[in-house]
Amino acid sequence: MLPTLLAVTETAHESGIVQQFGLEPKFVLMQVVSFLILFSVLYKFGIKPTIATMEERNNKIADGLKHAEETQVRLAAAAQESAQLIKTAQQQAQKVVDEARKIAKDFADKQQADATARAADTLAKAQQSIELEHRKMLDQARGEIARLVVKTTEQVLAKKLSEADRAAYNDAATKELTAI
Amino acid sequence: MRADKKTKLLAKQLFRLSLVNGQVSAEQVAGVLGYIEKIAPRHALSVLKLYHRAIQTEVAKSQALVEHAGAVSDATLQLIENAMSKKYQRPVTASARPNPKLLAGLRVRVGSDVYESTVAGQLTALSNAV
Repeated sequence: MLPTLLAVTETAHESGIVQQFGLEPKFVLMQVVSFLILFSVLYKFGIKPTIATMEERNNKIADGLKHAEETQVRLAAAAQESAQLIKTAQQQAQKVVDEARKIAKDFADKQQADATARAADTLAKAQQSIELEHRKMLDQARGEIARLVVKTTEQVLAKKLSEADRAAYNDAATKELTAI
Repeated sequence: MRADKKTKLLAKQLFRLSLVNGQVSAEQVAGVLGYIEKIAPRHALSVLKLYHRAIQTEVAKSQALVEHAGAVSDATLQLIENAMSKKYQRPVTASARPNPKLLAGLRVRVGSDVYESTVAGQLTALSNAV
């Protein structure tokens, strides 16, 4: 750029333009040097950090987008996995509920069967007890009747048997006892 | 107080000495009692009790107690004596005892054996059978 500027300045000097506009080459050179210094300072402390910051921000945005995509994919996978887990859990829960219902039904059936058996057993025992009590009562009545009959018979015989009857019975008893 | 083995053995020996031809002899019994009185063996009271029981049992075996309701003739008692003597192979003496509760019939007791043919016995058997 500097050779081009020098060449332009030289051409302008030769054609007389420089004299017409009052241009001094040394001032132009100084301004060019000042501009370069200013540009370099601006570039170093202004433009370059700004570009770096922008690149960093672009990288961050790109990373964020990339991370967002990964997150979205991971989220979708997690959603699918959670759906699968929920489905499995629902199946297991249904299985547990079915099993619990079956156990409850079996338990209720068993309880009912036991209760029926106990009731039948109690009924049978009650019937046996009643029958036993009935027999006992009949035996007692029979024994009491027999006792009364025997007592009455004894009283009647004691009054009605004559001495002749007793003597005859004694003779028969003697024959019976002596034949032993 | 329970009699020990030696006491029982002594009472048994004294009882054997009291028998003559398988019958209790009054003279032998008197001799045994005199011996006990004179010697006074150990546990004399227990010996006497055992001896008394043995003599009583043996005497009962020679006696037939005839319980009866109604009249019993001497001939009947004689028949019973003969039958029991023949059965037990020793002389048995019959003695009568009235018992109106029998109603009619005889009950003969020889030792611990009882023979009965009475109306009361038959009624009792009937009552037990019902």
